[in-house]
Amino acid sequence: MIKLIRRNLLRNKRRTFLTMASLAMALFILSLLGVVNDAMSFADESEIPDRLVVRNAISLTFPLPEAYEQRLRTIDNVVAVTPQNWFQGVYKDQRPENFFPRFTVDPETFRSVFYDYTWNEEEWEAFAEQRTAFAAGRELTEIQGWSIGDTITIKGDIYPIDVELQLRAIFDYDEPGQERQIFFHRRYVEEAMGNPGQNGTYWLRLDDPNAAPAVIAAAEAMFENSDNQVRAETAEAFAASFTEMLGNIQFFFTMIGLAIVISIFLITANTMAMAARERTTEVSVLRTLGFRRNQVLGMVIGESLAVGVLGSLLGVGFTAVAIQGATPFLEQMGFGFGGFALDSQVLVTAVTIGISVGLLSGVFPAVAAARLKIVDGLRRL
Amino acid sequence: MAETVVQMRDVTKNYRRDAFELKVLQGITLNVEAGDFVALMGPSGSGKSTLLNLLAGIDQPSSGDLVVAGEQVSRMNESRLARWRQRHIGFIFQFYNLIPVLTAYENVELPLTLRRGSRAARKRRVETALSVVGLQNRMKHYPRQLSGGQEQRVAIARAIVTDPTLLLADEPTGDLDADSGREILDLLGQLNEQFNKTILMVTHDPTAAARAKRLVRLDKGLLVSGDAGAGS
Repeated sequence: MIKLIRRNLLRNKRRTFLTMASLAMALFILSLLGVVNDAMSFADESEIPDRLVVRNAISLTFPLPEAYEQRLRTIDNVVAVTPQNWFQGVYKDQRPENFFPRFTVDPETFRSVFYDYTWNEEEWEAFAEQRTAFAAGRELTEIQGWSIGDTITIKGDIYPIDVELQLRAIFDYDEPGQERQIFFHRRYVEEAMGNPGQNGTYWLRLDDPNAAPAVIAAAEAMFENSDNQVRAETAEAFAASFTEMLGNIQFFFTMIGLAIVISIFLITANTMAMAARERTTEVSVLRTLGFRRNQVLGMVIGESLAVGVLGSLLGVGFTAVAIQGATPFLEQMGFGFGGFALDSQVLVTAVTIGISVGLLSGVFPAVAAARLKIVDGLRRL
Repeated sequence: MAETVVQMRDVTKNYRRDAFELKVLQGITLNVEAGDFVALMGPSGSGKSTLLNLLAGIDQPSSGDLVVAGEQVSRMNESRLARWRQRHIGFIFQFYNLIPVLTAYENVELPLTLRRGSRAARKRRVETALSVVGLQNRMKHYPRQLSGGQEQRVAIARAIVTDPTLLLADEPTGDLDADSGREILDLLGQLNEQFNKTILMVTHDPTAAARAKRLVRLDKGLLVSGDAGAGS
């Protein structure tokens, strides 16, 4: 049986190869979209459940008064609050490789909320003491070739100021994506801007993750009657809304992926049906020789399954190899702050889809072949 | 007294085509003894192939009794029929119907792969079948590398490799030139004479029919001449 499946696959080598290659190519694109999707995700998989974000209820682009920090600190179960602001600007030029997330923070409170970064204490002290200092993730320093003491300038585009910063600390984090950002003093920007007294977000640390719903409700209620109402949410929800700001690209990618899967299923199903139809007489001959219906069923499904398995392996293999070469290109395109890696979830999804496409595309022709009356099949000479 | 391999009693076969019912076989009664070589002749549409299909268990009669190799073929389900065919029937097609992706050896081996048995035992049987048809030196050839006559000999080897009770041949010389046809008929004669194989052969060719021990004629679904066989 296996020999017959193998030989039948090789019967029309070009067709088998093209079917397999189209499946492999579809899975390659699908895996690549998955990888890019992952890289674009701001959500930290190990997201700390005891952190909440408070922002302007209208949009992230509207700031909140500085005074909110103190008021938020008075909510039950809130043990620490720290502000964080996105600094929109240009480092060197507009090329994508020179783009990285940059936030202004308050060193006095930063670590009480973001306690999961790893610092060299001496470097941290140097960073905290110097108003023009910045701290960068290790991966970013490696990409940019920065060393402690180096100076960079970021030209503000929304902000009407340029900031000149000196690298004083390098931090590590469990997830590489988090090491591609920089932090610098919020006070530095505030002073340069004439002390407007505003912040983009406040990050809250709770003493009990189960208190999150109550804290969210309390925070929103606290500013309900003010000019700047707030929206409080978990860090994960915040990351998701940040992604939404990118025009829901992930959803777009998922739709592309779905379209690819459906197209490739139809192509493979048609090819398998064609291959099975061409062998109607042979199937009837096999059944005349004593092959049972389920053996014929197994043979036809086995062929399409083999196409699915080989196509999947080819596809993810190609992705794994290509991801290395494609990473700089994708980064240049501006995709991803989190770094590219073919993780097991993307891999398993791609292989599962490939095998399912192979299996399902073989089911209909297999059932048709198995149900065909032998005499009808023999008449089709 | 020879064992009766085929016992047909009042067998009919009707096909429904839209509103019409086609009566292809109308009450056929026929016996075939073990070791017999029966030629079944008749014009196109007379029901020869349908009769052969019923005997092979690849089609079911509309009514009547059909016992082949001691079993009521008409009462078996699909799965049992498949096993029964495997054990008792060797089928030789007009157009050989070899599997093109398999070699001569592998084509002959195919029915044996459905049975239990060692690879060595299988090899012995395949080699014996191929040597009976004179193709022991063509084992590794694919069907496309063989002549029509050689292909039909491989098909005969495939039909006899399981040592079936009954060999059914559907116009086995119909697609061959005269010389090749003669060789195939010699081979069938040899299988009947030397190996005592029971053969029922459908043919249009009177020369081929003359090689059989017994001739049965069908016309419009009726047995019109020839001995219906012992016990009828």
